[in-house]
Amino acid sequence: MVWERRRRRDIFDIIDEYFEEMERASRELFESLLGGRPSWDVSERCLEPLTNIHITPDEVIVRVDLPMVKPESIKVRALGGNVLEVSADMNRTISFNDFGITHRRGEFCGFKTKIRIPLPVDMEKMTTKFARGFLEIRLPRKRREGVRIPVE
Amino acid sequence: MGLPDVGLVGVIATTHIVSALGMEEAASVESELMPPIAVLHDGLPHSPIRIFHKDTVLAVLSETAIPAPVVQPLAKALVDWSKNRSVKMVISLGGLPTPERQELTLENIRIFGAASTPTALEMLKNWDVEALKRGFMVGPYALILRYAAESGLDAIALLAQSFYEYPDPEAAAVVVSRVTEMLNLKVDVSELLKKGEEIRLRARDVMRRTQQELNRMKKSQEYDLPLYV
Repeated sequence: MVWERRRRRDIFDIIDEYFEEMERASRELFESLLGGRPSWDVSERCLEPLTNIHITPDEVIVRVDLPMVKPESIKVRALGGNVLEVSADMNRTISFNDFGITHRRGEFCGFKTKIRIPLPVDMEKMTTKFARGFLEIRLPRKRREGVRIPVE
Repeated sequence: MGLPDVGLVGVIATTHIVSALGMEEAASVESELMPPIAVLHDGLPHSPIRIFHKDTVLAVLSETAIPAPVVQPLAKALVDWSKNRSVKMVISLGGLPTPERQELTLENIRIFGAASTPTALEMLKNWDVEALKRGFMVGPYALILRYAAESGLDAIALLAQSFYEYPDPEAAAVVVSRVTEMLNLKVDVSELLKKGEEIRLRARDVMRRTQQELNRMKKSQEYDLPLYV
């Protein structure tokens, strides 16, 4: 029986199993990184905003969804190691009760998040714009001096 | 149909319709394939996917992201159920991911449609909804259209230009206005627009989980250009 089973498990089965295992592991990693912690922090009284990073050939564009914030309170700080910290005060305090949740205590008066920029960028040349509840941060990518190759 | 997809347009739109029309819970989707979740309302457990009704209108609403592997059996079950219940038309409400969405105001968000049968396609035309003629659709609504086509059920998808990864109450309002006009229902969207920022704040967690599932479905293939014309 053991021998038969081994025979049937050919190279394609092994590859399939390998990819299934990889997918399962990456799903679990994804879950532990993103889904395993709450999007709120009672001790800091802040919520974590939705954030996405778009990479273009010249720029890294970070968009942060900041509903119900006071525009003048938005702060963007470049921390070391290619990390940005974005924070903003909300125009009113929100509590768990506002979500209909009565079994937790706490209230939130702002947004706060740290964003790791995945590529080398020029933090000095960062530009920011806030419009219609979205903060857009543009960071020019750092370029190494390339070699120009003539095309014949 | 209000299933989680880009911008949570369908979920936000359907939630608004259910609430505005005072629709009542009539059925729920029960499946061993779904994650082990109970949604508590007033202290009592409910399925995360429920079906509401009022008069001749049924509304399917999911309060949680649909795991990518469940999309196919769920779409099949919803189409089979609709067929068995002699549903005349299935209307999926959703968003069409649009990179330049940030530049669009409420007034210039466009709405597009897709249909399961030639009859449904003709209905879109009569309702003055521009049909998507070529390209890829990915996600629950793509499969609902395909299974509906297989079983000869008239189904359409109404898709408003929307954000991909942020909750989009404005796109939802556009869809609500159009679908209620088509069905001769009276639903005011001013409250939905007024509460837009609050909805965006409340929808963060469902959006985050939906985005993870959309990535697994390779939703971004909707941006791909097809090989043949």
